[in-house]
Amino acid sequence: MTRVVLADDAVLLREALAAGLATAGFEVIGQAGDVDGLLRLVEADLPDVVVVDVRMPPTHTTEGLEAARALRSRHPRLGVLVLSQYVETRYAVELIRDDPSGIGYLLKDRVAKLDDLADAVRRVAAGGSVIDPEVVARLLGRPRRHSPLDELTPREREILGLMAEGRSNQGIADRLVLELKTIEGHVRQIFSKLDLEPSSEDHRRVLAVLTFLKPG
Amino acid sequence: MHEAVASPTPSIHAAGISAPAPRRRDLVLLVIGGALPVASGRLVLALTPLPLHESINVPSQVGVSVEAAVWIGALLLSYRRAPKQPFWKLILAFLWTDQIWLLGYIPTSLTWTLGEAFSAVHDAVSAHLLIAYPTGWLVGRFDRRLVGFVYVFVLATSLIGHAVWQPEWVGVDCVGFCPNNLLLISRNDTLERLVDLGSTAFIPFLAVGVIAAVVRHWRAATPAARRVLWPVLIATPLVATLTTLWYLALDFGWLVVTDVLAGQLLLFVDFIIPTGVIAGMLRSSLHRSSVADLAVELGGGVPIGSLRASLARTLRDPTLEIAFPSVAGGGLVDPAGHPFSLPSPGTGRVVARLEREGELLGVLVHDAVISDEDPGLVEAVTSVARLALENERLAAQVRAQLEEVRASRQRIVEAGDAERRRVERDLHDGAQQRLVALAMRLEQARGASADAQDLIDATTTELGAAIAEVRQLARGLHPPILTEAGLRAAVESLAERTPIPVEVEGSGERHAATVEATAYFVVAEALTNIARHANASHATVSIRTSGDDLAVEIRDDGRGGADPAGGSGLSGLRDRVAAIGGSLVVHSPEGGGTSVLATIPLAADGG
Repeated sequence: MTRVVLADDAVLLREALAAGLATAGFEVIGQAGDVDGLLRLVEADLPDVVVVDVRMPPTHTTEGLEAARALRSRHPRLGVLVLSQYVETRYAVELIRDDPSGIGYLLKDRVAKLDDLADAVRRVAAGGSVIDPEVVARLLGRPRRHSPLDELTPREREILGLMAEGRSNQGIADRLVLELKTIEGHVRQIFSKLDLEPSSEDHRRVLAVLTFLKPG
Repeated sequence: MHEAVASPTPSIHAAGISAPAPRRRDLVLLVIGGALPVASGRLVLALTPLPLHESINVPSQVGVSVEAAVWIGALLLSYRRAPKQPFWKLILAFLWTDQIWLLGYIPTSLTWTLGEAFSAVHDAVSAHLLIAYPTGWLVGRFDRRLVGFVYVFVLATSLIGHAVWQPEWVGVDCVGFCPNNLLLISRNDTLERLVDLGSTAFIPFLAVGVIAAVVRHWRAATPAARRVLWPVLIATPLVATLTTLWYLALDFGWLVVTDVLAGQLLLFVDFIIPTGVIAGMLRSSLHRSSVADLAVELGGGVPIGSLRASLARTLRDPTLEIAFPSVAGGGLVDPAGHPFSLPSPGTGRVVARLEREGELLGVLVHDAVISDEDPGLVEAVTSVARLALENERLAAQVRAQLEEVRASRQRIVEAGDAERRRVERDLHDGAQQRLVALAMRLEQARGASADAQDLIDATTTELGAAIAEVRQLARGLHPPILTEAGLRAAVESLAERTPIPVEVEGSGERHAATVEATAYFVVAEALTNIARHANASHATVSIRTSGDDLAVEIRDDGRGGADPAGGSGLSGLRDRVAAIGGSLVVHSPEGGGTSVLATIPLAADGG
């Protein structure tokens, strides 16, 4: 059973999250209201995944993000899912830039849908990447002048978005109800149009796509 | 004057010019008092039987009289300048002691002995005069000890010398009178010679001491005081050196010039000190004529704000400050409207209060020397400048009020920003968390109750919309990324949300929170306007620092013609930018795109 530690200073929400994750079949082994508590819990009993809010005491700015980075540098195989109140593409890209495997950035609203939350925790636990669809929508939807993106078909754009969310070819095929082979063909086409190196590993692919969408 | 220095706030009343004019009778008495000794001296010489004064010639007598006249001039000047300072008394003492030696020509042993033994006191008075210049007071231990020592030294060597000395009248025709040394105790030629040479050899050291005292005064003096000091600063070493050389030459037999030449040289030396004193005194009286110049200048109208410079010029005190009572009550403000605090006592600064019927109109803070050397001057100046001071006072008070309004406007903006951050935080910690938690619970209920499926679906959708709305509202109040990552990152985030391509140029440099927030809201408003009205295909946001300002410019290639005056939400922002000392310029020619340029001082707190 996947073991999860939760960190969020809003008690009501944290309890609801814990209840939801338990319902979805996860074992919540600890809850913390601040970064120090989170670090203590993780050091005491290493979980598979930590779910952490970006804003926590004392300054209520980006403590959660910094804690996520610190935990990852100490435990590279620990899955980290960061919950954010607002969509900031900058934070999402910064978070996965170091090492995209086992990392997720999810809009806090999303957790209301238990299935989405459970799916994200599961993918992060398995070493995959999760980027909130709204972050991807913002990156893809950002108006550009003369971009290779203009050459993509609507279907290709849709598949590019799902890749950016961190989904595998199989996941995309399931989602769009298409043959795996068809998806693989689209992906090749997309990479060729965007002039990107094809990547076999899903999380490497996420990084390549995000970097393309948000340079710098 | 000295009393004014001791009291921190001497009062100047509105009685007009009241520089104390000395009475004619006092001046006449002074002239008599100064001329009497030299006249008596000439009389004594005239009445003395010939052989004794055969070496005294007419030109040197004329020279002595002219010298006395110059000294009497110095006496009158120093009395008129400051009758309560004792310097003029020192000049009188100088003139009287200068004639002591002539007592020796009065044919009694008593007068002869007095003249012989006490004529050297004159040298001590000379040193005293130089060191006490220009007030007559000895200030400081060094000065007092030095002058005391000179008196003791002069008297002691003279008395000891005369106690062992008997003049030999052999070969000299006494013309019926050969005086006796009444101080003689026991004749001892060796001791007499020893004292004589010893005291002469010590004179250079005394000369150096006097020069050192005068140089010390100069070094400690303010620029205003130096004006009066420098003639004596030059005269002192000259006189001290020449006098010393004279004595050495005389006593050690080094005299290489003729008696006549030596006499002329000494006469020249005698003129140096009174000339220096007169020059110094005159330099301080020159102020009076500049008061008239000030009256003319003010009559022609002085621009508001330049009165201080005019007064400083007239008083020759570049450090002069003026201040006025603040309208806000309590303290004082300077002409620029900034708070002003009075100097503490003992700093060499004097506060002159300008009052009308008991109400304080303003204060002048000046160098203590100004009122020391010419007590009436500050009063004269303020009387002449009264009207201009009143104008300046009103202007300063208006400026102070403006300054206060500007500061309070900035405080309001800052308070508003802080409040927005607080409300955003409250929404985030409160309503948003509760709503999301509620949505989660509802989601769990979905599985439990098959019957209410439709209702729960509808409620979930509603709730999702509410959550999104609260999120937008909170972010609009204050985007956390602005505080966390700065203006550039927050503008990037804005650009992503704008439906047309927006290019962002500039560095990620951080600035004061108020500066960043103001610039951010300008960009947000401008981009909203572009999206709604401009019909543009592209926009650029440029953030750069130029000098002490942050310049933020938003340009689009839309249809232009935006009304810069208002309706766009930019007019509210214009106030906000102005509140922290910046400016907002909208340029929007018909069909030529729109550019909004906000220039915000980086030091938006304070000045």
